[in-house]
Amino acid sequence: MLHIPSGILQDMIAHARELAPHECCGILSGKNQTVTEAYRITNILANMAEDDLSRFDGAKLSDLQRLSPEERADIAFQMDAREMAMAQRDIRSKDLELLGFYHSHTSSPARPSQTDITIAMEFEDYRKKLNLPEPLHLIVSLEHADRPDIRAYRIQDSHPTEIPIQQTSD
Amino acid sequence: MIKVRIPTPLRPMTGGKNEVEIAGNSVAEIIDNLSSAHPGIKERICDEQGEVRRFINIYVNEEDIRFLTGKETPLKDGDEMSIIPAIAGGK
Repeated sequence: MLHIPSGILQDMIAHARELAPHECCGILSGKNQTVTEAYRITNILANMAEDDLSRFDGAKLSDLQRLSPEERADIAFQMDAREMAMAQRDIRSKDLELLGFYHSHTSSPARPSQTDITIAMEFEDYRKKLNLPEPLHLIVSLEHADRPDIRAYRIQDSHPTEIPIQQTSD
Repeated sequence: MIKVRIPTPLRPMTGGKNEVEIAGNSVAEIIDNLSSAHPGIKERICDEQGEVRRFINIYVNEEDIRFLTGKETPLKDGDEMSIIPAIAGGK
């Protein structure tokens, strides 16, 4: 179970709506599976050089190459590495833990895509070496505009397992 | 020698290896020497101005080089350098 204050859940939805049709992304921190802070991170995908797209896997890469830079951010996100590092540093300085990453799916369900799973597994490989805690992966779906849906997943061995979210009062 | 961890998207350039041993006294030297051994890899890590690309973090041991002295961060035998793309994904 992941506990998230309603204010932070509302802010994640607001973030997704502000950036739509682009995907938004961010980081959640806290302690004991209770989120206390959210960091909005810039999705730099629309500004990435053509060559840099190869950080995505085969199928996603071909989809991205077919689109204009602006349209690419509608189907994927890439966190700004500097902002991600600053957030991780802030989390450490406050003696909190990295609890999760979130991003939006503006027109599809709140389920991890194959790209989400592949990159989450890549990160698993790195984060063990860097002694970081295992993060959850949260998706904000705007598929039904009037009923945004947020779900959290643990992704292990390329297999996502949904972890229930408990909304708490601020 | 410095153990350098290579991220998945760059492994085709290191013959599939996820770790390589490279000599060098700073992060910048390691990037140059890594590129001598595996041509083209520097361009994937750094932009035309020589700055680390916006989607990549480089760690020395467990610290991001942005909070050390950037590419001038000194390295000593036994240090580990990790090249890590920031989180990405998409529907």
